[in-house]
Parts: sequence; structure tokens; C-alpha cells
Amino acid sequence: MLEFDGAVKRFGPLVALDRCTFTARPGRLTGFLGPNGAGKTTAMRAVFGLVELDAGTVRCHGVPVSAAERARFGYMPEERGLYPRMRVRDQLVYLGQLCGRGAKEAGRSVDGWLERLGLASRAADRLDALSHGNQQRVQLIAALIGEPDVLVLDEPFAGLDPIAMDAMSALLSDVATRGVTVLFSSHQLDLVEDLCQDVVIIDHGRIVLAGELDELRAKVPQRFVDIRYRGPTPDWSGLARVELVESGNGQARLRADRGTDLGAVLARVQDRADIVSFAYQPPTLSELFRGAVAA
Amino acid sequence: MTGVRQGWLVARREIRERGRSRAFRVSIALMVVAVAAILALPALLRPGGTKDIGLTGPAPPGLPAAIQAQAHAAGTTARIHRYASLTGGEQAVRQGHLDVLVAGARQLEWKGQADEQLKAVVTSAIQRVTVRDRAAAAGIPPDAVAALIAPVPVTSVELGSAAGRSPADELAVTVMTGVLLLCISVFGQMVLTGVLEEKASRVVEVLLARVPARAVLAGKIAGIGLLGLAQIAVIALAALVTVTTVGSIHLPAVRSGVLAWALVWFVLGYALYATMYGALGSLGSRTEDAQSVAGPATVVLLVAYFASFFMIAQPASAAAQAVSYFPLTAPLAMPGRIAMGATAWWEPVFAAMLALAAIIGLVLLAGRIYTNAILHSGPRLSLKDAWRSTTTSSPGPAQAKPPETFRHRVRTRAGGRGMATTDLASHRVLITVLTGIGIALGATVAVLTSDVILGVIAGAGFIAVAIQMVKLWARPGPPVAHR
Repeated sequence: MLEFDGAVKRFGPLVALDRCTFTARPGRLTGFLGPNGAGKTTAMRAVFGLVELDAGTVRCHGVPVSAAERARFGYMPEERGLYPRMRVRDQLVYLGQLCGRGAKEAGRSVDGWLERLGLASRAADRLDALSHGNQQRVQLIAALIGEPDVLVLDEPFAGLDPIAMDAMSALLSDVATRGVTVLFSSHQLDLVEDLCQDVVIIDHGRIVLAGELDELRAKVPQRFVDIRYRGPTPDWSGLARVELVESGNGQARLRADRGTDLGAVLARVQDRADIVSFAYQPPTLSELFRGAVAA
Repeated sequence: MTGVRQGWLVARREIRERGRSRAFRVSIALMVVAVAAILALPALLRPGGTKDIGLTGPAPPGLPAAIQAQAHAAGTTARIHRYASLTGGEQAVRQGHLDVLVAGARQLEWKGQADEQLKAVVTSAIQRVTVRDRAAAAGIPPDAVAALIAPVPVTSVELGSAAGRSPADELAVTVMTGVLLLCISVFGQMVLTGVLEEKASRVVEVLLARVPARAVLAGKIAGIGLLGLAQIAVIALAALVTVTTVGSIHLPAVRSGVLAWALVWFVLGYALYATMYGALGSLGSRTEDAQSVAGPATVVLLVAYFASFFMIAQPASAAAQAVSYFPLTAPLAMPGRIAMGATAWWEPVFAAMLALAAIIGLVLLAGRIYTNAILHSGPRLSLKDAWRSTTTSSPGPAQAKPPETFRHRVRTRAGGRGMATTDLASHRVLITVLTGIGIALGATVAVLTSDVILGVIAGAGFIAVAIQMVKLWARPGPPVAHR
């Protein structure tokens, strides 16, 4: 359980964090979203005392985070964060020891992780000899080596190929199911939508949306009607109480308010086209995001 | 988990990783070979050896024997060659087969400049033989002649600058001071580049999430220092082995006590300058910044070196005393004074205490700068920003407006990512004042010590250090927040 409570951080005239309050819960993946420069990295650094807050606190299990706890938290910064010329295993054991673990214990746990992520044969290689995806895996092990309750990852999916992305997703989900609080930032909204139970959206230092993803989507008054049809693009104009979002290529997306009579909409749509499928849905995360950030 | 244990882990990583690198091993091997060669070569190439002397034309019958006797007395061996003709002998000289040709026992012919020692040997041999022949001709018995011209032993003593120390000692002390300078600056710069590399690769973020900033800096300094000591020990051992096997170099100034003190002063000097280098390293943002941020410490170190270098000439003077007490110059000046026998027992102890106090002060100062600057990203920080920033991260909006000054220098960095405006114009008054103070200081020192060179060193040193500090302090790189 990681709680931000009224966190404020100013850099001169710039307010990087403006009374940020949100919670990341254990056993769940929390996606931390926001445009570039919104304050994501500053907030994540605040967890580790790398940024000293001007006001507010970051709490773990209800008490302000202490240095000893931080040492065990897992942190993966956006850029590298490892020694490029150090051997993979030595490097991970070293970071494990810095978390307070003994050399042998850390070594065993590193070997286990390397085995699990298919990197056992690269243990004696220098980090810079590894591919980007493999380096990212090593970074993830570095974050997990202290057996943390709290895992904070800055852009863990940046630059990964689809297969590496799947592997990373599976691993994070697995870590979360073991009761770890996982907070990670990302710009890949589709991926966050598939992966995360909770999302926090920050813009200009303010938390604009936070909570369970399904709830957030359900709370929004708009609904969307997705239609697949056969034949040429029909004339959608003059549809009452729905608004055309996009159309073409055998698909159309209409915006409707919650409570719109779906039967009437379907009937009117059927008049104009040969319908293959008809779906009624809350907005996607990326629509939520655009709405929240633009507001 | 204490900071001390973490600091030790950091130190151990430095030792293991650096000690394992091929560059480190090769450099140690090269230095061992170089030291052994430097110490062994003079003994192997000692002047003397065999001289080839040609004789031609009429010569007294005892001349070859006399030349050989004189050469032996001078510590060389003479080989005599006879030449039937002058031209034959001269050709042998020109071809380098002979060192000198003695023509008719009256003229010495050389290929180039005369070898003064050989000239003296041959001349005195000719004189002796001639005197003996003339005496025999005058009827004086050979025994009486031998007694008359028996050589009077004349020895020469090189006094040097201090009682009990020879110029060779002074040379040894100069070398020792140079080695101290080299060690302190090499290992100090290793700390600087190490700090900069960790900052540039963002490893430091991961470290600082787990370890206090002071423990990271202290561990790095301690690790590199221990590695440096090990390196020095290996090279010293090589030097000792070479000296004992190849031949004796007798230097009363280089005693075990002096060497022990030199080691103590290496540790103190290294701690002092490495702390400084560590703090300066945190100001840069990429490894290419290393040279420019190292500037102030390097200048201070060089000024200290030149100051101590001139102190060796007059180790007992008040100026020497002052320089050997002042913490920044003491590590280079004090060992030399100790070696020259110019110190009372308490002086090094007192100076070491001062240096320790300075180190403590500097650790606090450097710790603050390091903590403030290490997480900053974007263009290189100025010392002022690093000092003033009360938080651990970077200030400022994306691009601060460059100061509107009458004249400012814009420097574009390689890679073109950032542009820093170096603005010394607004500090022109300050620099003028500092230069004035520097000139005044130099003049005062020159008058007080009645030594112009010392004055110039003091003045120029002060000005160089002051300008470096102003530059570093004021460099207003528009800070960019990493968010």
C-alpha cells in the first residue's frame, strides 16, 4: 500500500506536484499516466526521497516511508540505471547487498531470477553486451532483488518489442498477484488498459483521475456504440441523440449518453446499413485519458 | 542496515571492478617496468667503462702505463692503440673507434667536444711522464721524483641547501613530491570520472534510492584510495627490489620515517583532493564534462606543487613553513620539508591535524554540493546552484532566459543537446578585484621572502584559483528539470 497524501513539489516557479493524493494498492497493478512533463517521474522519485517534498507525505502501510523501507523498495528509473561495463550477476548481487541482503542470499536469489528470465547464460557478460530487452529484464531483476513490497517502475515498457512486452506484462502481473504494490508509468494506454486494475492520471502536477479502471469508465456519462457493417459507408447524418465519432472501412463509432434507448438507436442504424455487430461500451482508457488531460 | 556497511559495499565494488579491469592491470605492469627501468638504467649506464685512446708519433716510453694508471684512479679503464701515422689515427677518431688520439704527446684530437674527464686523465699522465723524464735528465733519482710528484688527494663535497642533505637528496625529494602530485591527481580524477559516470548512466538514482548520498561518495573515495595505496605498494616494492639488486643508491633523505610520513600525507592529500574532485564531478552531466569541472581542483593542486617545489630550495624559511602547514599545500610541501630534515617533530603532526580539520570541513561542504547536484540533469550546474539548491533535485523551467548582459559567451557543446551561456561579464568587477589582490599578494610575498619567483608563483596561483572558482560558481547553465 503506497499512499501519496497532499504531495507538493516546486522547482522555482514551476509546480511539479500540486497536492497529489492517490493510493496504489497491494496485489494490483496501478498504471501511472500523464503527458510528458506532467510530474510522473518527480512523483516516483519522491517515493525514494530522491525528491524532497515541499509539503505532504508519501506513506507505506499508513506510516511515512523510512530510509530502511526505501532500501527494500524496488525502483526502476527511466534511463538505464545500471553500470554498463559491470557483469550482470555481480551487478545484481551488489544491488541486492545494498538492500541489506547477505552476499550468498542475494546470489541465490539473483541466480533464480536469471534462470527464470532466461538470462542464466548471460550472467558473466557485461551489461552492455546484452540487447535492449535483456537489459530491461536485468533492470527489472535489480528492482525485484530486495523482495520488495512496493515496486515503482518508470516507463518499464519503453523500447520493448511486442514479445518482450508480453513477457514483462506477465511478470508484472505475477509479481502483483503475490501481494506486491506495483506502480508504473507508461504512455502505452492500450497496454495499461489490458494490464492494470487501477490507474492514476496526472496533468500539470495535479491528479486529474485516480481509481479502479472499470469504475472510472463506468462513472463517465458517455457511452460508445461500435458498429460493424457490410457494404458502402452509409450516410450517418441525422441520427438523433447519438453523435458520430468516426466512420469508414466497415466500422463506425457513435457517442451516446448513458441512458440512451439502445433499441431505438439500433433500429435507426439498421435502416441505413447491413449490421454485422453492434456493441455498447464505456469509453476506452485512451478516451478517458484525453478527456481528463484536456479538461 | 547502516550507512557504514553500505559505504563499505560501495568501496568494495570500486576495488573489485577497477582492480579487475585490464586497463588497471596493464597500467600497473607498465609502471612497475618503468620504475624498475628508471632506477636500474643509471646504474647500468654509469659513465666510465672503457675508453679507447690512440697514440701516434713520438711518445715517452712510460706514457701508456701512466695513462692506464691515471684512468684507473679516475674509475675507468683505458685501452691503448698505437697508430703508425697521424692520418690513420685521425681516421680512427673520425670513425668513432677512438675516443681521443694523442699526437706526439703534445696534442689531443677529438671527434667533437673534448671529454673533460678523459682530457684530464691523459693530460696529467703526459705531465707526470714528462716531469719524470726531465728529472731523470737532471740527475734526480726516480724515487725522489716519485715522492715529489705523488698526488695529493682532493675531494669535493656537494653542500646542497640544507645541512646533512646533498643535491642528490634534493633530487630525490623533488621526485617524491612529483610522485605524490601524480598519485593524488590520478586517483582524485578517478573519483571525479567515477562520480560523473554514475551520474551520466543514472546508476546513482538506483543507488540513492537505497543508500544515503554521503555513503555513496565516501565509499567511492575510500575504495579508489585503497586501490591507489595497493598500486603504490606494488610499485614501491618493485622500486625497492630494483635498488637492492642493481646497486646502492645512497640517499640519507629517503629513510623509512620519511617514507612513512609521505604515505600519511598521500592519504591526507588524497582524501582532501578526492573529496573536492567528487563534489566537482557531481556538477557535470556527461563524461565529456570531466576536464572542465575538474579545473579548480587541478589548478589548486598544481599551484600547491609549484609552491612546494620551490620550498625544497629553502626548507627552513618562514614561507616554507607556512606552505607546509596550509592544508591545501601541506600534502605536497610537508613531506619534502620532513625529508630535508627541516622540521621539528611536532610540525608534521600539527600540519596533519590542520589537514584533518580541513578534510572534515570539506566533506561537509562537498557532501552538500554532491547531494544537491547529483540528481540534477540537463546542462552542467554552476557551483552556486548546487550550493543554494535546498532540495535534491533540479530547479527551473525548461529554458531560463539567458541573462541580458552586454557581452556573453555562448558555448555549444558537442552533441548539441545543450547550450550553456558562460557569463563572466557581470563578474568582471569581481575578477578585477581578485586580480588586484593577487598582484598585491605576489608583491608582498616577493618582498617578504626576497624571492621574485616565489612572489610570481603566489600571485599567479591566487589569480588562477580565484578565476576558476568565479567561473565555476557563476556558470549559469539554464537548468532543466528531469521529470
